[in-house]
Amino acid sequence: MANTPKQNFDPTKPVNMIDLTCEQVDSIYQHMLTKGMPEIMWTVDIQKSSWEEIRDAHKNGKKLVGFGGPVPVTLLRAFDCVPFFFDTIPTRIASMEDLCSRFIDETEKYAPTSMCAIDKAQLGVALKHELGVELDAFVHATVPCDSARIAYPMMERLYDCPCYTFDLPFRHDDKGFRYVADQIQAFVPWLEELTGLKWDDERKAKFKEINELSNEAHVYLKKLSDLRKKTPCVLPGRMLVLNEMAGFLPGTQMLVDMLKTQLEMGEMLADMGMTATKCPEEKYRVCLMQNMLWSNTGIMDWMEKTYGAITVMDGFGYQEGVIFDDLDNWERVKYQTAQMMLFAPMIHGATGPTDYWLKVIDKMYEEYSVNVSIFMGHVGCKHTWASGKIVTDYIQEKYGIPTLYVDVDAVDPRYKSNDELRAQIGEYMESVVGAHNYRKDA
Amino acid sequence: MSYQKLFDTKISSDSVKAWKASGKKAMGYVCCHVPEEILYAADVLPVRLRATDCVDSSDAEAWMSSFSCSYARSILQYLMNGTYELDGLVQSQGCMMQARIIDNWEHIAKVNNKEQFTHFIGAPRMNSDITVKFYKEELQEMADALGKFTGKAVTDEAIKAAVAKTNETRKLIAELYALRKEKNPVVTGAEVLSICLAQCDTTVDEYNAMLKEFLAEAKTRKPIEGRARLMLIGSALDNPEFIKVIEEKGGVVVADYNCFGERTFGAPIELDDNDVMGSLAKYYLDRNTCPRELDNRPAIHKEIVELCKEYGVQGVVYQKMQNCECWGGETYYLEPDLKAIGVPMLQVEREEQMANAGQLAIRAEAFIEMLEK
Repeated sequence: MANTPKQNFDPTKPVNMIDLTCEQVDSIYQHMLTKGMPEIMWTVDIQKSSWEEIRDAHKNGKKLVGFGGPVPVTLLRAFDCVPFFFDTIPTRIASMEDLCSRFIDETEKYAPTSMCAIDKAQLGVALKHELGVELDAFVHATVPCDSARIAYPMMERLYDCPCYTFDLPFRHDDKGFRYVADQIQAFVPWLEELTGLKWDDERKAKFKEINELSNEAHVYLKKLSDLRKKTPCVLPGRMLVLNEMAGFLPGTQMLVDMLKTQLEMGEMLADMGMTATKCPEEKYRVCLMQNMLWSNTGIMDWMEKTYGAITVMDGFGYQEGVIFDDLDNWERVKYQTAQMMLFAPMIHGATGPTDYWLKVIDKMYEEYSVNVSIFMGHVGCKHTWASGKIVTDYIQEKYGIPTLYVDVDAVDPRYKSNDELRAQIGEYMESVVGAHNYRKDA
Repeated sequence: MSYQKLFDTKISSDSVKAWKASGKKAMGYVCCHVPEEILYAADVLPVRLRATDCVDSSDAEAWMSSFSCSYARSILQYLMNGTYELDGLVQSQGCMMQARIIDNWEHIAKVNNKEQFTHFIGAPRMNSDITVKFYKEELQEMADALGKFTGKAVTDEAIKAAVAKTNETRKLIAELYALRKEKNPVVTGAEVLSICLAQCDTTVDEYNAMLKEFLAEAKTRKPIEGRARLMLIGSALDNPEFIKVIEEKGGVVVADYNCFGERTFGAPIELDDNDVMGSLAKYYLDRNTCPRELDNRPAIHKEIVELCKEYGVQGVVYQKMQNCECWGGETYYLEPDLKAIGVPMLQVEREEQMANAGQLAIRAEAFIEMLEK
């Protein structure tokens, strides 16, 4: 019975996804409280707040707007909406194998198994009508990928609510930014109609406040990124996963608070000559390309403990960090919001020419002193796999680092067992990198 | 001139060689959202890349991985192994798999010191005034780049002249498809696909001439008696052998929704003299060929249903390329629409290489038997 996964719900009855998720996050919260971990409660505070904000949106008199892909989230907040990023469904429930599988399996009745599990899970929730909350609107982009392009139009029809779609271009340059900015302009009257609120001075003032918070968060993110550049790296790989929340909670106080606390803690540890990683000693600095492995974030802890290998940066954790430089200039704000959308993690590298990804690689490998390279390739992300050789050849030639390719499913834990994954990474670390296995000493 | 070339599915370099012999350029393009008319206007022979008969794409797989679709991979293979010897590549992002062909080709060419002209145009995935404007700018950028490359500026007049010729093709293709509406058509589905594929690497003048000649003689052909009238929809299909397997079991493919079939030709283009590039952009975004856009699914489903009625279709074969997400999700809404008009649907997965012909034959036969009952 030791290997039987925990049953998170009664499979014979309909599920309320939001309630289940809130309960799960709350149980983590209560567990940490009872175990006396006040110094890290902030890591779960933000999760609890964000999920409860979604659950209670209507109770609090707000419109609940689901969204997929990069959209102007700050504008949604300015119009008093609670934005709900649908990618957080699979990434949050990836560790609950039974729940995640329930939704993925539902989608596979109608769509190919090769479809990205991130999209399969969120579409499955819609197909089973088990979201647990009513949406007031659905806003999405035409990226990141063909899988999302299966899911979003179906979800549009299944949720049967007002919808707005941003067409995000392949080019992420001035022309591309202007194209998206034009669509942001057209989005405003749509929001006015949805919410009944006017784009007046009051709304603009609120938007400015939100963008100020967004700026504050990006300043902290930049400082946190700089902190990760230090050797040894003070903050564990897991923090990269937490910091992904910056992508869908911009302009919120809860994000600013979380990043601020993380930075204070990191700086304090650095001053004391300590780290929060699990490395016995830092021997290797790892860059994980592509998606984060949400179904098994513990793999980073294992790499730290076993090989002293700290994940200093990953394809998702890397944020370009757009700071609004003229908050009173609507034209400029629109343009920079468009930049923010096209520079979103993995959008910057995966939805345009591969050269964009190479630029991100340069920043990560040069600035973070990377010496171990792992292409942790989510199988659903076929377009990034199709750039894989370009990218890994580039890393080999420019940085002299051979890259390990590992195929994983970022959210479906059934794809590959933890043992198999550890064996693949372990073999590479010991035979190619020549790493010492600290666990064998124990 | 013999029209027999229309039935030779092999990728031909004859037209390319003849064109280039006169000192002009020939350019490959991927995805039917690249308007051929602009290439012709720049005095460039457009060659739509396809992967017909590719039996080994292992070199390309090393670049694109086994998770990519074998159609895109096989096109890259043909670029790598010299099947296509062209002066450059123009591409739009039909789907994300195809979009990686140009990336990889640029890098491979660079490694081999064979860098050549490449150009990417962003084809929007939504259809609105804003997106048409953007697409128009993308097309203009492509026209400017081609003009610079060839030394022949792309003018409105040159585009109009090209459209006149491609519109003639469109009318001839419409005539060809009309033959399929007959109770006992005189062309098989495999033959029609072969004819459409021949357009990919033939000059428009030569193609129109062959098509006219074939159509003049077509009515004298022996009518085909099939057991069931079928429609074929789904991922880019550039291999008539696939249809042949189905037709050998007694089905007759009388209609299709395939980006290598009639969809790619579409209705004649009507140009606005005051905005030639803008009307070209609008035409190509309005024309539905596949579910690559996010706002055209209900329209595509409606068109498929209408085609079923128009061509007297008894069953639809929905073929999906492995790892093709572009055509991956149509079942949920399309199947009920088809059921409503009494047309069942058979779903089959395939690869570019005809590896599962036996299994396809068995499934096709069972489907046809079911339709006969």
